Amino acid sequence: MSEFILKTEKLTKVYAMGKRKIPALSGVDLQVNKGEFVAIMGPSGSGKTTLLNVLGCLDTPTGGMMILNGIDVTKLPEKKLYRIRRDEIGFIFQTFNLLPYLNAVENVELPMECTKKSKGERRKRARELLEKVGLSGREEHRPQRLSAGEQQRVAIARALANDPAIVLADEPTGNLDTENKYEIVRLLGRLNIDQGTTIVMVTHDSQIASHTERILFLNDGKITKEKQGFHLVKKKLMCPYCGGKIQLSDARCPSCRKRL
Amino acid sequence: MVIIALGFSMAIMISIPAGIVANQEATQTLTENYNSTMSNMQEEINKTSTLIECSTSSGRGMFSGTPSGMPSGMPNFGFGQGEVFINETVGDEIRSIDGVKDVVPFLVKSSEETTSETMSTPRGNFTISRPLYTITGVCLNSSFVDNYSMLPTNMTGGRNLREGDSSVLLMSLNLTHYFGVVVGDKVKINGESFTVVGVYDSTDQGRTEARTVYMNLSDAQTVTGQIGNVSRFDVYAEDVSYVDGIADVIEAAYSELSVTTYEDRLESIANMQEMYETTLENAESTLAQTQSVATQEIIVAIAATSLIVLFVMLYTVRERTKEIGTLKAIGLSSWNVMSQFMLEGILISLMGAVVGIAIGSIGAPILSSLLLPQINLFGGSSGRFQPTFGSANPGITGSQAASATLDPQLMLLAFGAAMLLGALGSLYPAWRAARIRPAEAMRYE
Repeated sequence: MSEFILKTEKLTKVYAMGKRKIPALSGVDLQVNKGEFVAIMGPSGSGKTTLLNVLGCLDTPTGGMMILNGIDVTKLPEKKLYRIRRDEIGFIFQTFNLLPYLNAVENVELPMECTKKSKGERRKRARELLEKVGLSGREEHRPQRLSAGEQQRVAIARALANDPAIVLADEPTGNLDTENKYEIVRLLGRLNIDQGTTIVMVTHDSQIASHTERILFLNDGKITKEKQGFHLVKKKLMCPYCGGKIQLSDARCPSCRKRL
Repeated sequence: MVIIALGFSMAIMISIPAGIVANQEATQTLTENYNSTMSNMQEEINKTSTLIECSTSSGRGMFSGTPSGMPSGMPNFGFGQGEVFINETVGDEIRSIDGVKDVVPFLVKSSEETTSETMSTPRGNFTISRPLYTITGVCLNSSFVDNYSMLPTNMTGGRNLREGDSSVLLMSLNLTHYFGVVVGDKVKINGESFTVVGVYDSTDQGRTEARTVYMNLSDAQTVTGQIGNVSRFDVYAEDVSYVDGIADVIEAAYSELSVTTYEDRLESIANMQEMYETTLENAESTLAQTQSVATQEIIVAIAATSLIVLFVMLYTVRERTKEIGTLKAIGLSSWNVMSQFMLEGILISLMGAVVGIAIGSIGAPILSSLLLPQINLFGGSSGRFQPTFGSANPGITGSQAASATLDPQLMLLAFGAAMLLGALGSLYPAWRAARIRPAEAMRYE
């Protein structure tokens, strides 16, 4: 059994709407191991986003326990949480959330703003990351001059800036067309295989979810089902449909032409 | 839009101090004028302790012939009318009084040419017709010329009058402009032709002295048609102890002569001093009043500036809630977020300062005169005492006293204030931004 990066026990979250209490999470037990690529699926209202917010330390749980990279973050005050968010977590949003008045490289530098890295180091790291997500040459472009897919890739580079223990992606393909969806999920898969980045992705798109190695189904604030995805097979450079040999950069299987 | 509004508020903020400084300077100038005038007069009076002035027209007593930068003591109404003359032989009679050293006769008469002048007073405008200039005939006896101050000393061209001069005259600078003559030219006075031998600077003197032609006494008697007559005797006593006695004798013997001695002049200077001091007090109280109004206005401007920054930043924070959520989600601390927004507030405020200085450097005089009560340095009787104020460009009037200008120090101050107010105004919005919970912010569209 490999070591876990993220573990929750009986995690609950209750929203108080006036006097009514609305439970969003009602006891989530979850374990994500180092180097895993996990998808969380579920219908709307099932608590996916709430779960991801709690996992990402954007929200505090009402009850239960959560350990992230060996740190019990359940009871950490906001004053310390920002360090966890900065150093341990990379966040990817459905709407990319790039700052419109900063160019690509400045957006990537943003999470490193308050770290000990020098300006030169930050710039260098940001350029490396943009190259890694396939955006070399577009470093100086502002978000409005980039396509949706490119913007999301900038956001992925930004999430990786401080070399986080885990990357949390909230519907990262939700605002993209089919071509770009697969492009992004392939990029995440490649990062997972090449860099060993641990990724948890929330999606309601089963096609996209199937390209991860483990799919968790969330229903009414609880994990009800678990399923294996294609990613494990892809890790062995095999096509999950026909078993033929593939390259990580291939968009389609060379033998059966199915989308990877 | 916002920047311009901020700019206006800033402009007001810097124009008002500029206006105050200008007003203070005006008051200071006034005080300085006052002090120098007073000490001049005191000096002059001390020099002439043995002088008894015997003048035919009561209003013209004080120093009317002394040209040494001395304003005439009393407001000079009734120009030209009521000019009374006395036979010059009276001078010889006075000379025989015990203790009299010298008697210097003068003939002072207004010209027949007149000029119209509009004076504004609190009760409306009056058009006054006054003589264009004054003819002063001086006895050019060299012992008089050498010993007593009878002629102007501040010559700008030509020479002064001297013993034996005839058909020549000395003219004030402003009259040469009127006549269009220079030294050496001929000029007609009441039909008689004279050569201008000298020009003296009249800007430092009271209005009457400012337009005077000086000439030989007998020439003056001829052109004014007052042959054998004079209008004033300056009687010099052998010693101060004789002055009162001589004055009594003259007053008893010649009812048409009004006699002024050293003591009378001291008294009149004391009256003047009182007058000046009232004026100064007025100016100072107006200044104090101005300052209190200015303080209120500056407070309003400061409040307006910080409120503008406050609302703009509150709006900004609302608009950018999602961005704030993102910043926090990717690991920026509350402090980072807060300082970011404070910085923006300061930046907006600084831009406002730049616009404000631009507006202020053009509009400071207008703005400060719009916003501050006008200083009226002369109480209710503005205009009346102007000529007496030792300054011949006709006095310091309220309207021209304060002209606000921006100096670099004030601009620096404006930038400082902008930074401070920017920080102050954005403090609350920035704090709100910092407190935003990231999860809630992300839900916000």
